[in-house]
Amino acid sequence: MLMQIAEPGQSPEPHQRKLAVGIDLGTTNSLVASFRNGRLQTLRDAAGEQLLPSVVYYGENARVLVGKEAEAMAAADPANTLASVKRLMGRSYNDVTLSPALSTYDLVDCGEDMVKLQTRAGALSPVQVSAEILKVLAARAQESLGGELVGAVITVPAYFDDAQRQATKDAARLAGLKVLRLLNEPTAAAVAYGLDEKEEGAIAVFDLGGGTFDISVLQLSKGVFEVLSTGGDSALGGDDFDQAIAAWFMQSVGLGELSAVERRQLLTACRAAKEGLSDAEQVDVALGQHLLSLTREVFNDLVDPLIDKAIRACKRALRDARLSHDDIQNVVMVGGSTRVPRVRERVGQWFGREPLVDIDPDTVVAIGAASQAEQLAGNRSGEDTLLLDVIPLSLGVETMGGLTEKIIHRNTTIPVAMAQEFTTFKDGQTAMAIHVVQGERELVDDCRSLAKFELRGIPPMVAGAARIKVTFQVDADGLLQVSAREETTGTESQVQVKPAYGLSDTDIADMLTSSYAAAGEDKEARALREQQVEAEALLQALSAALLADGEALLSEDEQKDLLSKMEVLHQQKQDGSAADIARHIEIVGAASEAFAERRMDASIKKALAGRQVDEI
Amino acid sequence: MTEIDHRDDHFALLGLPRQFDLDQGALTAAYRELQRSVHPDRYAGKSERERRIAVQKSSQINEAYDTLKSLTRRAAYLLKLSGHSVDGSNTSFTDSNFLMQQITLREELAELEGASDPEAALDAFYRDVDGAIAEHTAAFQRGFEDGDYAAAKDEYAKLQFLEKLRSEAERKEGELLDY
Ligand SMILES: Nc1ncnc2c1ncn2[C@@H]1O[C@H](COP(=O)(O)OP(=O)(O)OP(=O)(O)O)[C@@H](O)[C@H]1O
Ligand SMILES: [Mg+2]
Repeated sequence: MLMQIAEPGQSPEPHQRKLAVGIDLGTTNSLVASFRNGRLQTLRDAAGEQLLPSVVYYGENARVLVGKEAEAMAAADPANTLASVKRLMGRSYNDVTLSPALSTYDLVDCGEDMVKLQTRAGALSPVQVSAEILKVLAARAQESLGGELVGAVITVPAYFDDAQRQATKDAARLAGLKVLRLLNEPTAAAVAYGLDEKEEGAIAVFDLGGGTFDISVLQLSKGVFEVLSTGGDSALGGDDFDQAIAAWFMQSVGLGELSAVERRQLLTACRAAKEGLSDAEQVDVALGQHLLSLTREVFNDLVDPLIDKAIRACKRALRDARLSHDDIQNVVMVGGSTRVPRVRERVGQWFGREPLVDIDPDTVVAIGAASQAEQLAGNRSGEDTLLLDVIPLSLGVETMGGLTEKIIHRNTTIPVAMAQEFTTFKDGQTAMAIHVVQGERELVDDCRSLAKFELRGIPPMVAGAARIKVTFQVDADGLLQVSAREETTGTESQVQVKPAYGLSDTDIADMLTSSYAAAGEDKEARALREQQVEAEALLQALSAALLADGEALLSEDEQKDLLSKMEVLHQQKQDGSAADIARHIEIVGAASEAFAERRMDASIKKALAGRQVDEI
Repeated sequence: MTEIDHRDDHFALLGLPRQFDLDQGALTAAYRELQRSVHPDRYAGKSERERRIAVQKSSQINEAYDTLKSLTRRAAYLLKLSGHSVDGSNTSFTDSNFLMQQITLREELAELEGASDPEAALDAFYRDVDGAIAEHTAAFQRGFEDGDYAAAKDEYAKLQFLEKLRSEAERKEGELLDY
């Protein structure tokens, strides 16, 4: 029995239950959910609210408000009330100002870097603002679950690119949350839906929220959720419906420039009108002395072009999945904007079947994320689900003449690794620049630039003789890492794809230091505690693995060597400093690498053998 | 010591016979079974190292599945395994039927931009190119299974060409319909 403790999927002792949550970090609303009192549920705040408006207010004296209270400040102080910042994550100034949206706060042009927001608290990155929202949700969870969280599954739009995903992960890090996984929102919804319905076959998840649109086509089979394709628009949602009404209003009454306060008022009125039209046939929109009546018919005409965009993405997603309408058993509607009758009607028409609207479109994503968090924390035994997701946008490199060459195509299942060989074009060339981009277009300028890096230290050779192998590894979160190696000499260089839009590690460290200081926390003590926990986890896992497979997979010497290193780590865990422990974690880790790999190969073999027996 | 014997052979990795005609159901089932044991999510609580190895193994299995799932990629892979070069870049086609087919498709593709209903024109193009791909896939299979590698290679080169046209259309689609 003992040796099964560390097997994946096995449930630990009840008292060891780990607290993990799922967080839906939305453009308009955010939620946190967890497994509590025997079921998956959203966690409520003291006032009993589950939705936390994704709004942050920066007040006088460093006062920060999040949620409803922040929303209440929007009318009075729009410049310091930040809403919908998710649309700015991983985006540069030019990216977000190209669309002529009515903005209610000041954006700071940071050139190629991520755009910032000007507030009285200084110029803030959308990452910092998102971290405020995450902190509130994490605190809510710790309070209602009664303990520290081991981590969180955070959802992102499936169509988010590398820069947007990295920004989300950075925000979690800043909020002091360990990210167990970045999970695509439609996949999370499918999990919540699939677990309930025990459905098998192909489904489409249509997720239209406040700021983003995703369509994912999934194949469900015995707990496996295989995403076949995904598509969408990371800047299409209910916000755009509001903007369309606002533009109509301004044109109809002949309004010119508006002040920030008026813009905020108008957008709020338009949103209310839109939501009202989901029940009523006609509503009033008012700004100051101007009053107009908006009918559902006019509204439908205003939003049809936006819905057209969404439908085209559905079409492409089906084609990419190599399926036709008839293959789709169910269309699951997710996100607040799927409450718009016109959206339901058009989606139903296009798929040729009534979409499912009976699940709660607000909570389904958070519930699915919580389910996955529960599993990743190791609390679930048996009936494991397996989520196989895809990369939404192709990854490529710049080639001659500003063209892109695709290395990993969109809708490839992740994790995925692809290698590409490059060579030098000049005699004696020792460095070479590589520009990684994401997107479908042919011209580099039309794609998103993820990183530019230089490979140095290439041994001088004649032109064309060097063979530089660049490996692109995308992990299960959809994040890219690039490494390069000169094959003829074996010179290796690791490159983390981050810069362009992400925060550097020093940025994060600085922000963290200041937040510890603010919280009056001792950074040293915290680091020591973290290392001790990690050392303990490593030792426990390894002991269990040695009990299970040590004899079979390691020679006697190998076992002895590993055990003695573990012994030292055990000592260090008790008396060492954070740095000592970290160093010995590294030593034990290195010594156990081959063992870990053999164990995985053995489990592959076992899985194969199992199948072949089944087939006979 | 246990180790995977045919690290590079996607068929062996998935426990499937090395042939063009695969049972799609068996392929998918084997794939899912393997991912269940190596997917990084199964190692969430493990050390950084173990998770990295899991990412690598899982990627390897995804690559195998991705290669075998697509008929064109499966064809290329089989040719490569049987020692035939698959670089069709400088093939010149002599088959007049194919030349006609190719000209028609190219014209269709060129006319996309000016089409009054680009969506409908795209639909028609995809239908036609996918029809052609199916036709040449069948021809490839006949050649390959009869051991007529010259014919198989020729058909593969055509497939490669058709796939190129298809991705050209996808690119144009993105530009025309603004994804
Ligand atoms: N009854 C309704 N009728 C129309 N629209 C509605 C209704 N209720 C909510 N919405 C709209 O739904 C949007 C918010 O949806 P949701 O909470 O799903 O978004 P989100 O998760 O915050 O955003 P995203 O998923 O895009 O990041 C808002 O634009 C809101 O106006
Ligand atoms: Mg949402």
